[in-house]
Amino acid sequence: MGKTLFEKIWESHIVVVEKQNNPSLIYIDRHLVHEVTSPQAFEGLRMNNRKVRRPDLTIATMDHNVPTTDRSLPILDQTSSSSVQIKTLEKNCKDFGIKLFDINSPNQGIVHVIGPQLGITLPGSTIVCGDSHTSTHGAFGALALGIGTSDVEHVLASQTMWLEKPKPFEIRVEGKRKNPHAVTAKDIILSIIKNIGTGGGTGTVIEYRGEGIADLSMEQRMTICNMSIEAGARAGLIAPDEKTFDYLRDREYTPKNYESLVDSWRDDLKTDSDAKFEKEFTLHIDDIAPQVSWGTNPGMTCNVTDSIPSPGEFSNGDENQKRGAEKALEYMALEPGTLVEDIKIDRVFIGSCTNARLEDLIEASKVIRGQKISSHVQAMVVPGSQMVKKQAEEMGLDKIFIDANFEWREAGCSMCLGMNPDILSPGERCASTSNRNFEGRQGAGGQTHLVSPVMAAAAAIHGHFVDVRKMDLS
Amino acid sequence: MKGNVIKYARDNIDTDVIIPGTYLKIHDYAELATHAMEGLDPDFHSKVKEGDFILSGKNFGCGSSREHAPIALSHSGIKAVLALSFARIFYRNSVDGAFLLPIEIKQDTYDGISDSDEIEIDVSKNEIKNITKNQTYKMKPFSEIIGKIIAAGGLFKYKPDQD
Repeated sequence: MGKTLFEKIWESHIVVVEKQNNPSLIYIDRHLVHEVTSPQAFEGLRMNNRKVRRPDLTIATMDHNVPTTDRSLPILDQTSSSSVQIKTLEKNCKDFGIKLFDINSPNQGIVHVIGPQLGITLPGSTIVCGDSHTSTHGAFGALALGIGTSDVEHVLASQTMWLEKPKPFEIRVEGKRKNPHAVTAKDIILSIIKNIGTGGGTGTVIEYRGEGIADLSMEQRMTICNMSIEAGARAGLIAPDEKTFDYLRDREYTPKNYESLVDSWRDDLKTDSDAKFEKEFTLHIDDIAPQVSWGTNPGMTCNVTDSIPSPGEFSNGDENQKRGAEKALEYMALEPGTLVEDIKIDRVFIGSCTNARLEDLIEASKVIRGQKISSHVQAMVVPGSQMVKKQAEEMGLDKIFIDANFEWREAGCSMCLGMNPDILSPGERCASTSNRNFEGRQGAGGQTHLVSPVMAAAAAIHGHFVDVRKMDLS
Repeated sequence: MKGNVIKYARDNIDTDVIIPGTYLKIHDYAELATHAMEGLDPDFHSKVKEGDFILSGKNFGCGSSREHAPIALSHSGIKAVLALSFARIFYRNSVDGAFLLPIEIKQDTYDGISDSDEIEIDVSKNEIKNITKNQTYKMKPFSEIIGKIIAAGGLFKYKPDQD
């Protein structure tokens, strides 16, 4: 029987098979490190007199709690806990010989944005990072896993980790979107999670396949794979094709023997035609609408043209789902039956590892060019990396956003997870291009609606959600 | 292990409500624990006792990879979380750092145990006994490797060749 792409990568990285088809010790090709989930791991190494086994395969940056305001100024409170985490990472990287893109580096940015941009993310490789959205790198045909701090320490010390083999899950995306500027990769992945649920992918590695995936650019594929974790999957990946190989060619860290690698990837990195997946789901995208989340997990999502469902409608008779929806509506201060287009917003956040790459900013800028944001809205753009920021500025996008009264910030995770000062106040309602609408995620009492960059930009202009298919986005 | 249950009768308890992002900068675990479950249940810290268990629905611990989540629960006194299913990163973090036991339960266990019931967990027999209601349930057994890591006392004490 044939093998899936995931199984091929898995088998080529086994160091020790614990038991056939059971947990194995897996070799890790790339380890990405950031300031929040690494301090205790380095401390553990020190306490046990261990070294980093492969500093050359380990790369660090600071993204989660860095300020997104002017970096020529010092961080005001040098004793603040954020400042301490940043300084701790600098010291750890120096002590253990790890390459660090620090706060002033032109390569600094969200770890999942800079990996691909620098050519560090490679097809067929295993990648881990102490961050759940590591699944992003799967867009390049890598097996990319989010891990916790204990495993970070284990990988630092051994370049391996123990892993139970996940099951392969095929998600087919079929058809063609009628308006690909208005119905985006974000709308595809939110539609998938709406259908399979936030636990639909638990214990699996998703492979996204089909015409609807092949049509996507690399940056759009990253948006899809990024949110695999929101469906509970261990990872998500897409078989590499010529778009993948072109994207990674001539990057700063692209390997010297790249073309010969590409030759072998072309042959090896695909799912065999007779391979078997343990689970399957198909989404037809010809007629899908732009999506807006209304609740407190990414599965609580509906079409922009819908009204807010009642807990009964949402839950299909499942008591826990119903209670969850009731709590969500209470937290979100929304009434069933309200039209999504009538929901007024206070804040707009265009950013995060889901949607803060150059294409996202280009698409959003088309909506706001020559316009001003609504007088009751406060809006910000936080580019995914300093490189994205620079490229956008070379195209004049910063001016379009600033002229529309958006704030134009420095790169980082920012308001996606509310670790730095970029947070919502209680009761503030935000159209956000990030990945999680959990209670309090963007600040205690903040109400998050997950949307695409185009929808976020349109909501900023109109002050409420609109059907962006009716706008001229060409 | 014997203790009382704090039941959250809902699915999808995420790591952002277990420990909100703003507290990920705290390195003192005792202080971290004072914010455990703050996003969902502001009374948690005042009511939790050493040796208590949490009982919840599907997909417990979904979201972020922050190990601060099982750490905050563990340092609040929670010895095990019983749930219909777990998000995998939370599950591994709980076991790898030997913070708490993530125990997968079946629907009858979930329905049978009420908030504040006293229960006793016997991992060697895969059994959960409800002392308050005098009922016994079977827990789903740990997989081989998870059982070994738990028995060793965490990932760094586990040696593959020890058996």
